[in-house]
Amino acid sequence: MKEITRRKFLVASTATVGALSFWELGHYALAASKSNVTDGSPQSAVLGKERVIYTADAFCASECGLQVTTYNGVISTIYGNPHVPYNAGTTCAKGVSGKQVVYSPYRLKYPMIRVGARGEGKFRRASWEEVSRYIATKLEAIKQQYGPETVIMDGGDMTDQPPYWRLFYYFGSPNCTQHGAICDTPRRLGPYIIEGGLRIEPDLMRPVLVRQPDGSLKNDYSYANKMIIYVGWNPFTATRINYESRGTVAAKQNGAKVVVVDPAFSNTAAQADWWLPIRPGTDADLFATMLRYILTNNNPQDPERQYLDPRFQDYSVGWPEFETAFRSWWTKSDPINNLPYFSLQWAQERTGLAAQDIATLAHEFGSKKPAALVWGMNGTGHHFNGEVVSTLGTVLNVITGNFDARGGAIDTALVRSNKGGNGGSKQIKSQMITRTVNGKTIKGLAWDLEMDNNGAWPAAFWGALGAYPKQMSEGVQINYGPFAGYHYPIKAFFVRGGNPANSASTEQRWAEVLSAKDGSGDYQIPLTVYVDNAYLETGLYADVILPEASFMERMGLSDIYPSEPVMYLREPVVPPQFEAKNQVEIMNILAKALHDAGDPDIQGADFWDRYHSEEDFWNEALLEAPGRTNVGEPLPYPRYPVGYKLLGTPESLEKGQVSIDHTKKIVQGVPLTVAWLRDHHGVAVWPMAWERYKAPSGGIIATKSGKFEFHFGFLDAVNKYIANRPVPYMLNQVGWTRYPTTFFWYETVWNPYTNPAYTQYRTQYPFQLISGRIHQSMSATQYVDWLGRISEEHLWMPLNDAKTFHPVVTTGQGGEKIAGIHHLRQGAWSIAVIQMNPVDGQRLGLRTGDLVRLVNPLKQETKGKVFLSELIRPGVLRVPPGSGGRLTPGMGQTYEYRSITPSSNRLLDPNLSSPITGMSTFNDMVVKVIKI
Amino acid sequence: MGTFSGNPVPKPDGGLVPIPILPPPTIPSEEDIRLVMQSDLQRALKKPMGERQWGMSIDLQRCTGCQACTLACINENKLPPGVVYRPVLENDSGTFPNVTKQFLPRPCMQCANPPCVPVCPVGATYKRPDGIVEIDYDVCIGCRYCITACPYSARTFDWGEFYGDLVDGPPTPYEQVPSLEYGHVWLRKAGTSPINNTRKCQFCIERVQRGELPACVRTCFALATYFGDLNDPEALVNRVRQGRQVMQLKADMGTNPSVYYLL
Repeated sequence: MKEITRRKFLVASTATVGALSFWELGHYALAASKSNVTDGSPQSAVLGKERVIYTADAFCASECGLQVTTYNGVISTIYGNPHVPYNAGTTCAKGVSGKQVVYSPYRLKYPMIRVGARGEGKFRRASWEEVSRYIATKLEAIKQQYGPETVIMDGGDMTDQPPYWRLFYYFGSPNCTQHGAICDTPRRLGPYIIEGGLRIEPDLMRPVLVRQPDGSLKNDYSYANKMIIYVGWNPFTATRINYESRGTVAAKQNGAKVVVVDPAFSNTAAQADWWLPIRPGTDADLFATMLRYILTNNNPQDPERQYLDPRFQDYSVGWPEFETAFRSWWTKSDPINNLPYFSLQWAQERTGLAAQDIATLAHEFGSKKPAALVWGMNGTGHHFNGEVVSTLGTVLNVITGNFDARGGAIDTALVRSNKGGNGGSKQIKSQMITRTVNGKTIKGLAWDLEMDNNGAWPAAFWGALGAYPKQMSEGVQINYGPFAGYHYPIKAFFVRGGNPANSASTEQRWAEVLSAKDGSGDYQIPLTVYVDNAYLETGLYADVILPEASFMERMGLSDIYPSEPVMYLREPVVPPQFEAKNQVEIMNILAKALHDAGDPDIQGADFWDRYHSEEDFWNEALLEAPGRTNVGEPLPYPRYPVGYKLLGTPESLEKGQVSIDHTKKIVQGVPLTVAWLRDHHGVAVWPMAWERYKAPSGGIIATKSGKFEFHFGFLDAVNKYIANRPVPYMLNQVGWTRYPTTFFWYETVWNPYTNPAYTQYRTQYPFQLISGRIHQSMSATQYVDWLGRISEEHLWMPLNDAKTFHPVVTTGQGGEKIAGIHHLRQGAWSIAVIQMNPVDGQRLGLRTGDLVRLVNPLKQETKGKVFLSELIRPGVLRVPPGSGGRLTPGMGQTYEYRSITPSSNRLLDPNLSSPITGMSTFNDMVVKVIKI
Repeated sequence: MGTFSGNPVPKPDGGLVPIPILPPPTIPSEEDIRLVMQSDLQRALKKPMGERQWGMSIDLQRCTGCQACTLACINENKLPPGVVYRPVLENDSGTFPNVTKQFLPRPCMQCANPPCVPVCPVGATYKRPDGIVEIDYDVCIGCRYCITACPYSARTFDWGEFYGDLVDGPPTPYEQVPSLEYGHVWLRKAGTSPINNTRKCQFCIERVQRGELPACVRTCFALATYFGDLNDPEALVNRVRQGRQVMQLKADMGTNPSVYYLL
């Protein structure tokens, strides 16, 4: 900068005249003092200090492959790793922001011990030695008095929780869980019971590595998709499946028709061919009607109406039973509208969509092949009856022949790489224990005390985290298995990388149970431990806080959503900041402390003597990669027998450096290691194939029969397990005494348009309240400055008031420090808002920015500012989940707006969870709006 | 142990960053578009500087409004709070249910006739032979005339804020990493450039000269932004415009931007 100020310049601005004449003369170019611009590289001195590291994100569970550059050991830039086909060199806004996680002033820096009451957030700094001794002493006392099963370990929202699970499984608790148990279990039920998977996604990951007729492996970039229907799923904004962003727009340009079914005009809808603004909570109605239309109008003789692909029957069991049960509803009439179930007219009344549109959608889905019908976590995973949606959705994909078809629908859980079994579950599933039940000594496995499957949720295959507050306050009643009749309390809650107190069901309930006291004034749950690098609400209720290494500071493996087996390494990019430690170190420290406190189940041979570094731990996990069978078209490895399980590096399998075990049907190559990944741009990629369920032996379908099960073998087995024992309490809510074993139907809750029990609320509570997931402004995201500023989808908008405040940061003195005074300008920060259609706003006399109260029939309420938007269905209010009413100073500037931002999690019904999976009903509620 | 060490960034020494080697494509024309663009760059960089004109084609049918480009740019150029080079503008229109929404990433247009250049009283901003409109931070006096003159609002002012200020602390560690804009080393410190200068997108020209794509193109989540030499008919940035409706922003002003939008 030249030493001349603007003021001086304005006084004597002859140069301005010169510039103006330049303009008039049209001499735009090369007016410069520097016409000698060259291609030189004066920055070479800087480049010498730069390093490139291939790693994997874990700021969300999508876990993209990253290429990070450091300068003098500080993170400089973050890009996608071009060698990882999952994200193919791209990253989202959140992925780019990782360095603001690592260097966040609000992050947890030191171990801390609570000094105030739970919820107050008062802590003192402690040493790792002190906190590990503190935790071990308490855990051992709890184990002695109540048993190890009374400890819950929640591994949070990342896929690298196995070290923690290992510790607690060896400790003896079967109650290890993670975010999957609260994310979207109803969305996963259908795939799970029909084909053994979890998530059906369109075949959009490109490139994929495909075996060519000449034997070579090549990258296929072509899109075969003809139709993609996203229902309650907004991949562009709620980004979880990375390739659905680039893939959807590319497939569309290649001729695929893209349809979005959503009450809100999402960013995905903005690039779709067709938007269907459905009434919330009626996705099951739409799917059932599509299925009825397809079964009714299918005509093998008419090329326009060959909806069904009859070959699916060769790979399935129970279809006639399912079809009969489904058809039996067609003659019944719905009490709410007196129309026959699943008829077009019936669906029009309930979904708010035109009957003709529904018919067109069904016809096009049935006739445009390959197609994918995809349902998301917001729209289906968070409704009480999402289990019906995912079951019908899976059926629709399978019977139309789209399942695992090229350009069709892929269940990514069935085809991803395996990453091993050193999380300790083998230990807990083989350890024999005894308990005294009703005066009798009973022997069983430690696993038989698992709280969900033996307690209130025998069919919750992924756990029922949303229902934990109930068990935490009432204790766990074991109803099934050898220990039936046994009751135990919850005495410790160990949570890592998750924030259930804000986002895992009704937030007041979590606050209540985590701070509840017994008769003698002690906390009912005597130990709560919070492990994270972000200081979130759950941390406020912790007795001990352990600072964990961020994802740029620890090792791990990523593999989760690709449509072919891909395994990539999370390589530490920088050393842990302050006193943070990685999961393997924390596992070993706590293991050692438990051992020293006299725990006989924790031995060095299983922990610190076995894993000297995190690399040791993850190398062991990699022994089982990719762990998928050699099946599909084109066959991944024609040189090996079909149906054999593949293990080892892509290189060794390609070169034939293998041993083949014909008894166990295993092709064993050179085991994959962290070092191998490091030498190969951080990633291993094995070949893609399609039709992978059709192998005569060893297809990908993971049901017990190895076939599509329209007679649900899993639920059949659960029914046998619970026979002659109490009926799980939530089944009573929907009038069942047993789990359904084929087509089932029940209405969602708090929906006055579809469920007669709630029609009474239609007038007084005229709005349906739903949440709209925004990937980059979630529960643990908004403290990142860049993400806090950018706005999104009329949900996260710069409607902040000007504010002067004292930011709070944790310091070396422990506890917190009031860090000066900061002034935030109006409109400089995005906050959670309530999206409302202007028609509704006008009726209530509301304008954008007006503060309102949302009140539900349960007398719960939340506050927020209204944002009027044409991009939402009238009668529907949408708020971002977990983004408002943030109570922890760890959220930075977002915390300052806690009293004017809405939390929909305060309003959900604490007594209802989806009957089979135990999922909280995040998106089923009605409210009235009161202007403040 | 490779932990924390990684591999050194290849030294330029006049050479170019190597193009990643991926498995060959099944159809040669369907190769990874970033690799194609990187080889376009290598071709262009072999020409004399004045014979190449850097430009962008942004496919608005592909943009998903994710704003990854906005933040990747901030990350690459080490931008302080309040300075943004490439926002993604949004506009919705219509009434429910007949609505639309457009996303418009807005880099500097690197105009052929840049209105910002002639208003600069000290000649600190100028059009380079390769089409980039450069700001010489050492010459800029911070008068902000150019900010007013730019019809695209592509220029913002660096008021000297730091992320560390938000908590009354020193600059954060990542604010002590220099930016390499225009091939020079810029470490922001009070009283020195580029603080109190006008700042704007320069197509990451320092990266480009090393054979790397601009940050926005490199990160684009939906593969919606193309970059290359507008003078090279074989370059992807030009080929993607074939058969498409093409728009330049405010074309009627005669600025002739180097950024094309595909509708």
